[in-house]
Amino acid sequence: MRRVLYVLLGVAIFAALWEGYKLVGSPDGTVLFGVRFLPRADDLSMPHLWTVLQRLGRPELTGGQPVWIVILHACAFTFGITAAGFVAGALVGLVLAVLMQQFRIVERGLLPYVILSQTVPLVALAPLISGWGGTIMPPWATVSVIAAYLAFFPVAVGMLRGLQSPTASGVELMRSYAAGWWRTLVKLRFPASLPYLFPALRLAGAAAVVGAVVGEISTGTRGGIGRLIIEYSREATSDPAKVYTAMLGAALLGLFVAGAVSLLEVPLMRHRRHVEVVTL
Amino acid sequence: MTAVVVDNVTKVFNQGRSDEVTALSDVELTVGDGEFVSLIGPSGCGKSTLLRLIADLIQPTTGSVTVAGKSADRARRDQDYGIAFQQAGLFEWRTVLRNVELPLELRGLKKSERKAKAEEMLALVGLADFAGHYPAQLSGGMQQRVAIARALAVQPPLLLMDEPFGALDEMTRERLQTELLGICAKTGTSTVFVTHSISEAVFLSTKVVVMSARPGRITAAIDVDLPARDEAARQSEKYFEHVTAVRQALRGVPAKSAT
Repeated sequence: MRRVLYVLLGVAIFAALWEGYKLVGSPDGTVLFGVRFLPRADDLSMPHLWTVLQRLGRPELTGGQPVWIVILHACAFTFGITAAGFVAGALVGLVLAVLMQQFRIVERGLLPYVILSQTVPLVALAPLISGWGGTIMPPWATVSVIAAYLAFFPVAVGMLRGLQSPTASGVELMRSYAAGWWRTLVKLRFPASLPYLFPALRLAGAAAVVGAVVGEISTGTRGGIGRLIIEYSREATSDPAKVYTAMLGAALLGLFVAGAVSLLEVPLMRHRRHVEVVTL
Repeated sequence: MTAVVVDNVTKVFNQGRSDEVTALSDVELTVGDGEFVSLIGPSGCGKSTLLRLIADLIQPTTGSVTVAGKSADRARRDQDYGIAFQQAGLFEWRTVLRNVELPLELRGLKKSERKAKAEEMLALVGLADFAGHYPAQLSGGMQQRVAIARALAVQPPLLLMDEPFGALDEMTRERLQTELLGICAKTGTSTVFVTHSISEAVFLSTKVVVMSARPGRITAAIDVDLPARDEAARQSEKYFEHVTAVRQALRGVPAKSAT
């Protein structure tokens, strides 16, 4: 109940800031020393929020479906891509983390490249990957690959720390039980890594959304919310509210993914919740 | 059969490097069945190292370690000993009961057997009512008792303890000492116990092994013969005689035979 109130409060503050700035801001933006450091406040750049909401209800094109249905479809399409990319990325991240934990030499050899992988500009990579579409995988899957490419990183790094988190005495205890590598992993390292894994998964979820949206744009894949943002922004001069509806959709998709990821946590972190209840 | 035989063991860490350390040199130790042996000495005398050698967590550089008539490696694989460290080291994501079940799980016992055994062990350390709690909900002393229950769960013939009460307050400590003696007497377990505390060593042990540092070696072994080990024994003259003997041995004064 309280959380719902906080969410509503957050939305209200955002709306007040938006409309408040529209009220006081200069329609041409504020320019200081030749640099515009506050945006234009005219209806073309910042349409009223109610205009955006109204736009959601009106047809996309004359006689077409209402915009909110189009956006919902696009979000569902992008969500599918995001989910596939997230799962693939998380699995790759997990496997890499386990390998790096187990073999010191792999950690030394691989970790710099894992970090390096995230400095390669996505825009440079996308055309290469989009070339795989239609031959070794359907075009939508290439976008998932891009999403996975962004999503694996936080999982690999976070999970590696988590797998290394058990104390020496925990590891010695497992050795005293004559437990081998696999059973030490399952009984000790995996459960110990969960507090590190979940924040990493949340980051990976956000990264997968960004990857999917940007991937759609740079590979030219149709049907998703990323593509919709580009299409609607071309109409921004005549119909400025339309592009904001697509951005709203993308933001809600991100929230939805973050929420879905944190649901994963609930059954697996029972002991944490338990402790909190007792210490209160 | 003797529980532990350490035969002429030397342990060198980082051999052949500039930071080479001789942790143990020519150590001989025998622990008879049902004996309670304490290892005492200043920091860095290698008492923990000796315990780890017996547990086969590390291997001797030279010499051999025999546990329950087998090589230390074989004994570890057969889970012939239970071990408890200074930190309870419970798995925070498992309930108390499931922590005690862990060694049984790894032995492949059936779920019902595991539960029955673990409950029995928790009753032994007086924590039957806390089976469903998580470790973070327990005090340090209770956690340590869970760790002891876990070490005892497979009913090992040998119990290895590395300063298990080191982080506890004096009152809890004395209570757990009495409990431990009761458990060992009941189960007939042989015990090797590492400690910093002279009084603890004398109160618990049938034999106190005094070690000195650089290089770690055994300087004296003092048999402790107390008529009873209860609260009155902590005040008895005999007890203080032994405490004095151990203290002198630790200071390097030749020990008068304390009989």
